[in-house]
Amino acid sequence: MTSRREFLARAAECGLSVATASLLYGCVTKRSPPPPGERAVSAAGPLEGELRIFNWSDYMGPETIARFERETGVRVSYDTYESNEEMVAKLVAGGGEYDIVCPTAYLVPVLAEGGLLAPIDHAVLTHWGNLLPYFIDGNSVRGGRYAMPYQWGTTGIAYRSDLVDAPPTSWGVFADTSLGGKMTMQDDGREVLGAMLMWRGRSLNSTDPAELTAARTDAIVVKPNLRAYLSAPVKAQLISGDVVLAQMWSMDTRQAQLEEPRVTYVIPEEGGELFFDCLAVPRSAPNRRAAHAFLNFVLRPDVAADIAESSGAGPTNGAAIRLMEHPVHPPDAALLARLEIQRDLGPATDLWDRLWTEVKAG
Amino acid sequence: MLPAALWLACFFAIPLAIMASYALRPRHILGGVYPGWTTASIARLFEPLYLEILQRTVILSLVATFLALTVSYPMALVIARAGRWRTVLLFLVVLPFWTSFLVRTYATIFLLRDTGLVNQFLLALGLVQEPVQLLYTPGAVLFGLVTGYVPFMVLPIYGSLEKLDPALLEAAEVLGARGWRRFWRVTWPLTLPGVLAGSLLVFIPSLGSFLTSDLLGGAKVMLIGNLIQNQFTSARNWPFGSALSFLLMGFVLIGMLLRALGARREESR
Amino acid sequence: MKRRLLPAIALLGYLALHLPLLMLVLWSFNVSRSGARWDGFSLIWYQRLLEREDLLLALRTSLVVGLTATMLATILGTLAALAIARGRLRRAALLESSLSLPIVTPEVVAGISLLVLFGAIGMPLGYLTLIIAHTAFCLPFTILVVLARLRGMDTSLEEAALMLGADEVTAFRRVTVPLLLPGILGAALLAFTLSFDDFVITFFTAGPGTSTLPLLVYGMVRRTVEPTVNALSTLLVVATTVLLLFAQRWIAPARNVG
Repeated sequence: MTSRREFLARAAECGLSVATASLLYGCVTKRSPPPPGERAVSAAGPLEGELRIFNWSDYMGPETIARFERETGVRVSYDTYESNEEMVAKLVAGGGEYDIVCPTAYLVPVLAEGGLLAPIDHAVLTHWGNLLPYFIDGNSVRGGRYAMPYQWGTTGIAYRSDLVDAPPTSWGVFADTSLGGKMTMQDDGREVLGAMLMWRGRSLNSTDPAELTAARTDAIVVKPNLRAYLSAPVKAQLISGDVVLAQMWSMDTRQAQLEEPRVTYVIPEEGGELFFDCLAVPRSAPNRRAAHAFLNFVLRPDVAADIAESSGAGPTNGAAIRLMEHPVHPPDAALLARLEIQRDLGPATDLWDRLWTEVKAG
Repeated sequence: MLPAALWLACFFAIPLAIMASYALRPRHILGGVYPGWTTASIARLFEPLYLEILQRTVILSLVATFLALTVSYPMALVIARAGRWRTVLLFLVVLPFWTSFLVRTYATIFLLRDTGLVNQFLLALGLVQEPVQLLYTPGAVLFGLVTGYVPFMVLPIYGSLEKLDPALLEAAEVLGARGWRRFWRVTWPLTLPGVLAGSLLVFIPSLGSFLTSDLLGGAKVMLIGNLIQNQFTSARNWPFGSALSFLLMGFVLIGMLLRALGARREESR
Repeated sequence: MKRRLLPAIALLGYLALHLPLLMLVLWSFNVSRSGARWDGFSLIWYQRLLEREDLLLALRTSLVVGLTATMLATILGTLAALAIARGRLRRAALLESSLSLPIVTPEVVAGISLLVLFGAIGMPLGYLTLIIAHTAFCLPFTILVVLARLRGMDTSLEEAALMLGADEVTAFRRVTVPLLLPGILGAALLAFTLSFDDFVITFFTAGPGTSTLPLLVYGMVRRTVEPTVNALSTLLVVATTVLLLFAQRWIAPARNVG
């Protein structure tokens, strides 16, 4: 049995070391990223090692990974996440070592500036030309220096044509009390406030406090009409008819339509949101060669078509569209005029979050 | 003793200290922090918006704990008296938890939906004419919380009951106390440690819960767990998230300190 | 009246616990993908399950991490509980109250702080980090459960053993441990349950290729509600029931000794 003095001494030691460690750590800034991947990406010779992919769930073809493994002999480990922020949190904290991640386009400039992404070596991407120019020229991706466009989608309104009297034409439908208790909006501050902003004819990327406060008030007014805030899981309820009208992503709608053809999708008159996700290589990626091989693999029309068919999203790969059973064409000019691309909010993120908290608490 | 203490010190205390330091730093645009110090996050804690969320969370958790106790104690009693069937019943309590909490919650959603089993049952019996909205109500959230934490209440209470000397109960009966009185004056006080341990194990995690209110409550109410989760994800405000977490922990620690004081006073009596 | 009320409430409790579970099982035999309607009986999801390598890998990861962490947490926890209740530690009360700190910490904070720690010391995320993290969050629970059992335990049996001439170690082995066994088993059960089902902390401390079941299920369940997961859950339930039947043979006789 330890004597009192011994115990105190040991406790003091423990405490001191804890304190010092935390102080020391406190002084250290964000850990600087490790030196860039070893082997040059365009080196010759067979691929080796492991490829670690971190992607959205349900965002890959059922056979894609297996095919890649067979053709290249590289072993793939595949993990998924549900939101950009979960992925960013892991990248920022410096733990996970992934070779490929899938950020939504608006995050790419922020991540690149934060030094978290490695530049993409286009010399190895022989199929790059398959990509639709629209997605490459977009500001967010800056010519594809740090990210490769992957799939796109929109946010609009999905509804049951058999259970709703008149098809909705405006984001204001959420204020319609006759549908009270049978509507949902997404559980995402940007989507909800964004929809309210668009309803009033404003930009969904607004950082103006007055506009945002008005949007918050709208959201609070609309809230009692909502059954719940649901994102992807609302699919099942739309199919069963518990919910008749929902703010939904195009890919989820498409998947719901497979089971219930009476689900209809519409982009309101005031506009909708366009977003696209990209594949990127983190700066700390251990196997950049394999990462690039995978990027090139995904650029193949047949592979891209497979992926798009199963995810329900739109392919950014022009050559793939022809190969799809149910082709998804990029938005035409008329539709594009009504769609707005989501952008990062920068310092205004804080204000948005506070307003969203107020909506939820209200 | 030491290995456990070391483990916790390394893998809990130190990371926690790091997070504490985060609470005092300016936030980085991507999440994480910049070097430097600021008390902005701490100051923000005291805004009415956030205090109200805390209050709402505490009340919900208290109700959930109470309900859990009301259900768990009888279950523990039945198990303790079950003789041969004890192990079976115990395992039945724990069995649902070998499935994923998320999958069970989704199953609960299907149960409580307008077109779900419970409503179909009620309609079939003619008890209601139209489906009752069970899902996305505070009741659904409580149901989820309670069923989620019942084993944490049952096991400690059962542990206390199990080592209860039946001779004491017999003695009480011989002395004239039966049934309810015997329970209240003998069984209950002796199982109090188990009850308190169980209550703590239910109250505290439910304070920090967010999935249940999101999934079963329709994400319409923001509890402090949701708020904290938000800070580390969409809001990218880690310092505020840390500050909130410590507020939550501090609050509970005060409550527990009071309990400890109360217990000590009772002991000296 | 009390006679019938208590079992009735207990029954209600069991029902509430198991009804969602039953739905899960039923749903796993439903041909419909979204489970919104009953479309017919089918074993198709069980077939799909066998094809889903990722699910099976995740199951294996969950089991490995769970069993290891449970072992560690139970052993360390029992020792710690003994030290607190029996040892001559000053400030034992303080130590005990400080145990509640890990329990109170929101999982997000615990998870992220561990992620930051591992990043800072350059430890790659994987099995090791998972086991470390799981043991860390299970420890306070195991300690508390064993403590509760220890506290209420009747020491007279141990004193009797000592008086009858047994030395401390033997008394410990043959009297204390068997008496403590329900508490230890309860703690182990709790630890495994916590570990197997954990999501938030695991999310932040799992590395590439070491996704556990909850991680995978979370993704699946939020996007496509595919009954394959239900098939897996049903199989797990069956497996644990079988285990239980065996356990009853072992545990029951041992308990009669105590």
